[in-house]
Amino acid sequence: MRQWVPEFYRTIRRYLKLYRVFLSQNLKEDMIYRSNFITLVVMDIGFVSISVILFKIIYSHVNTIAGWTFHQSVILIGSVGIIREMAYLTFRRGFLELGSHIRTGTFDIFMVRPIAPNIHLAFRHISLSESLGESIMGIILVGYGISHLDQWSWINVFLYILFLLNSLMIYYGFSLLINSVVFWVIKTQELNTILYFFMETSRYPGDVFRGIGKVIFTFIIPIGIIATVPASILIGRIGWHFAMISLIIGISFLTAGLLVWKKSIEHYSSASG
Amino acid sequence: MEADVPHFPYDMKKYITLFHINWQNTLQYRFSLVIYIAGYSLYIWVLLYLWSAVYREGQTVGNYTLSQLTTYYLLQLIINSVIFSYISWDVIDNIKNGNFSNFLIKPLDYFFYWFTVNLSGKILEALFVMMAVGLISIVFWGYFAFPERFITLIYFLISVILGIVLAFELDFCVGMITFWLTQVRTFKYMLQTLILFFAGAMLPLDLFPDILIRISDVLPFKYLVFFPASLYLGKIDNPWPSFAALLVWILIFYGLARILLIRGIKRYEAVGA
Amino acid sequence: MPFSIQVKKLSKTYEYFKKAPGLAGSLKSLFWREKLYNEALKGISFEIEEGELVGFLGPNGAGKTTTLKILSGILYPTSGDAVVLGHAPWRREPAYQKQFSIVMGQKNQLWWDLPAQESFILNREIYEIDPGTYQHNLGELLELFDIKEIIDVPVRKLSMGQRMKCELAAALLHSPKVLFLDEPTIGLDIISQEKIRDYIREYNTIKKTTVLLTSHYMRDIERLCRRVIVINNGTIVYDGSVDDLMHSYADHKVIRLTFSHEYKEDNLGKYGEVVERSGLTVVLKASKKDIARSTATILSELPVEDLSVEEVEIEEVIRKIFNTLTPLKK
Repeated sequence: MRQWVPEFYRTIRRYLKLYRVFLSQNLKEDMIYRSNFITLVVMDIGFVSISVILFKIIYSHVNTIAGWTFHQSVILIGSVGIIREMAYLTFRRGFLELGSHIRTGTFDIFMVRPIAPNIHLAFRHISLSESLGESIMGIILVGYGISHLDQWSWINVFLYILFLLNSLMIYYGFSLLINSVVFWVIKTQELNTILYFFMETSRYPGDVFRGIGKVIFTFIIPIGIIATVPASILIGRIGWHFAMISLIIGISFLTAGLLVWKKSIEHYSSASG
Repeated sequence: MEADVPHFPYDMKKYITLFHINWQNTLQYRFSLVIYIAGYSLYIWVLLYLWSAVYREGQTVGNYTLSQLTTYYLLQLIINSVIFSYISWDVIDNIKNGNFSNFLIKPLDYFFYWFTVNLSGKILEALFVMMAVGLISIVFWGYFAFPERFITLIYFLISVILGIVLAFELDFCVGMITFWLTQVRTFKYMLQTLILFFAGAMLPLDLFPDILIRISDVLPFKYLVFFPASLYLGKIDNPWPSFAALLVWILIFYGLARILLIRGIKRYEAVGA
Repeated sequence: MPFSIQVKKLSKTYEYFKKAPGLAGSLKSLFWREKLYNEALKGISFEIEEGELVGFLGPNGAGKTTTLKILSGILYPTSGDAVVLGHAPWRREPAYQKQFSIVMGQKNQLWWDLPAQESFILNREIYEIDPGTYQHNLGELLELFDIKEIIDVPVRKLSMGQRMKCELAAALLHSPKVLFLDEPTIGLDIISQEKIRDYIREYNTIKKTTVLLTSHYMRDIERLCRRVIVINNGTIVYDGSVDDLMHSYADHKVIRLTFSHEYKEDNLGKYGEVVERSGLTVVLKASKKDIARSTATILSELPVEDLSVEEVEIEEVIRKIFNTLTPLKK
C-alpha cells in the first residue's frame, strides 16, 4: 500500500506533464491553420443556433417535453457543447484519426512508445478549435438557462461541473468500446458518425425514455444520462441516488472501455500485417 | 464540335460498365452500410421516444399525428440514402489532387460520369435500405403510416426519381466550387446543413414559423425531403404543379452545372492546378 | 560478449480472406469468406551480440519487416521465442520500450507541420530523459548528423534526406541500446543514402549500439554491415559475413549499353554474358575483376553511345543463394 500511493501519484504527475507538452505542440500546429480556426468557430455557432431554433419550434407547439421547459432544454444543448469541447481537448480527435493511423500503419508508432497507446493517441491529437464555437455557445446557453431558473446555487454549479466530468468519462468509455471495432474490421469511418449522433441525441431530455428504452439508453447507450444528469443536477431535479448510479455507470463504462480496448490491441498485434 | 459526339449506343456502354464497377466498389463498404442502417434505426427509436413525450403534452403538433411524424422520420432514412447525393466529396478530391486532368483527355463526360456513379450507388443502397425499412417498420408496427391509395405510392416514386436528379445536380454544383475555393470542405458542411434544414430533414417544414416557411418555398431544397414525404403522407392532393416546378428546378440546375463545369475547366486550365 | 537479441524458431502466420473477382464474388463474400493463411515467418533463429551491426536482407514480403515488428513488440508471434535485452518484446513493458528505438523509412514519426525540434521535446517527455542527458545527447546528435541548421524548419519543408536525419536523431535521443532500422534509405537520392549510411556506421562505432537494419538495397548492407542475414519466403537462407556473401554470390556486375546505330554482329559474348538484347540496348554480365578491362574494350571496339556499370540486383543474388543453398520445393 505504501508503495502503491507514491507510484500512483507519480503516474498522474507524469501524464499531467505529458498533457501539458502535447497540448502546447498541438496548439502550435493549430496556429498554422488560423483561417481554418475561425471558420470552425463560426460554423459551430451556426450549428448550435439551428439546434436551438429546432427546439424553439417544437416548444412553440407544447409547453414542456417530459417535464422540461424550453429554458431547461437549452441547458441540455449547452451541456452537450461543453462536454464535446472537453472531449476534443482530451481524446475525441485521436479516435477520428485512428482509422487512418491503422490503414497507413502509423499506429505501430503508438505501440513502441513507453506510454499507453490510448493516451498517446489521445494526446497526439488534442484540438482546441474543433468544438470551441460550440462550447462558447454552450456556456452562453447554460448561463441563459440558469438565469431563467426559479432558483439555483453555487453548490449546484459545482456539482454540475463534477458531473460533466463524469459524463466525459462515460463518453470516453463508450468511444473506446466503439472504436475498438477498428482493430477487427478496417474500413469504418461510420463508427465516429455514430458517436456524433450519440452526442446529438444526448440533447434530448433523458426523461423521454420509458420502459425498455429507459434501460437501454441509460446503461447500454447512455445518451439518456450524458447531458441529462449534469443538467438535472444544475436544475435541482434529481435525487442523489440517481446521481450515484450515474457515477457507477461512468466508472463501469471507463473500465469496460479500457478492457475491451486492451483486448483489441492484443488482437491487432496478433493479426495485423 | 458535332463530329466529336460519340454514337449513342457506344457511348452508353461505357457508362453501363462504370455502373457495374461501382457496384462492386460499394459492396466493399457493406460493413459501413450495416452500421449506418443500425445507427439510423436506433436514431428513429430515440426520436420515437422524444415525440411520444411531446405528444403526451398536446394531442397534435401542427397537423401531424404521432404516427405521421414517426413515418416522416422513417422516410428520412430512405430519402437520406436514396435521394441525397454525396459524390461531391469525391468530386472535391478528384479536382484537388489533380486527377481531374485525366478526365480532360478522356472521351468521358464529367457530369454524366458522376451521374452514373451516383445513380449506381443509389440503386444499390436503395435495395439495402428497403430491406432495413421493412424490418424497422415491422418493429415499429403501429407507429408507421401506410398510404391509403395506391396512386400515392406512384407519386412518391416519381418524386423520389426526380429528387435523385435534383439532389445530384445540387451536389455536383457544390463540387464545382472546388475550382474557385480552396476551403471548399468547410463551405460544403455549412451549405449542407442549410440545405438539410430547408429541405425539412430535421423537422417537417409546415411546423416552422411562417417566415421560415416562406423562405423555404422559394428555395428548391424542399423537393428533396419535405415534398416526397408529404406526398407519401397524403398531404398533397394535386402533385402535378409541384412536379412541374421540380422539373423547372432540374433544368435550371442542369444549366448551372454545365456553366460551372465549362467555366471551371477554363479556370483549371488557366491555373493549371 | 552477451547477446542483445536472441530469436528461437520464430514463426508468424497471418490470416486473411480471399475475395473472388467480379460482382458475383463481391456478393458472395457478403455472406461467406474463405480464410487463407500466409506464413510470413517459418521458424527463424538467430542471435545478435551487443554492439553488432547486422543487415537483414531480402526481397519485399520476405519477412524482414515482420521480424522487426515482432522484436519491437508491435506483433505477437504465432510460435517461437524472442528475447531482446532480457525482455519479451510483445509484453510492451515501458522498461523495454525505453531501451530501443525503431525507425521506419516509410513512416513519418515527426510532426509534419512543426520543426523537428518540437518532436524532440516530445520524445524527451515520452522517454523521461532528464534535462542534462537530453542536452548532452541532443548536442552530440546535432553535431554528428549535421542538422543544427534545419531543426527549426517545419518538417514538411525538409528534403527526404534531411527528414531521415531528423528521424534518426529523434529516435536516438534516449540512447537506445538496440536500434531497428526498417528500410532507412528508401526513396533517398544516392548522396543522401551514402550520408545516412555513414551516420549509422559512425553512431554504431561510437555508441556500441546494437543495430539491426533491413534493406533491399545491396549497397546498404555492403557498406554498413559485417554480418548479413538473408531471408526469403520466411526462411533464413544465409547468415554470415558480407564478404563471403559478396564473394561467392555477387561476383559480377552488370553492364548496360546503348549503341549509336544498329549493330547486328553476334560477337558480344566475348565481352560478357549476354542477359538481354533488344534493338539498340544490350545488358551484359561481366565478372567483377574483369570489369575495367571489359568496359575499356567495349568502348574502343563497339559503336557505343551510352554505357553504365551497375551492381547486381539483390533479387538476383538472393535467387542465386536460394537456388544453391536450398533446392526449390513445390
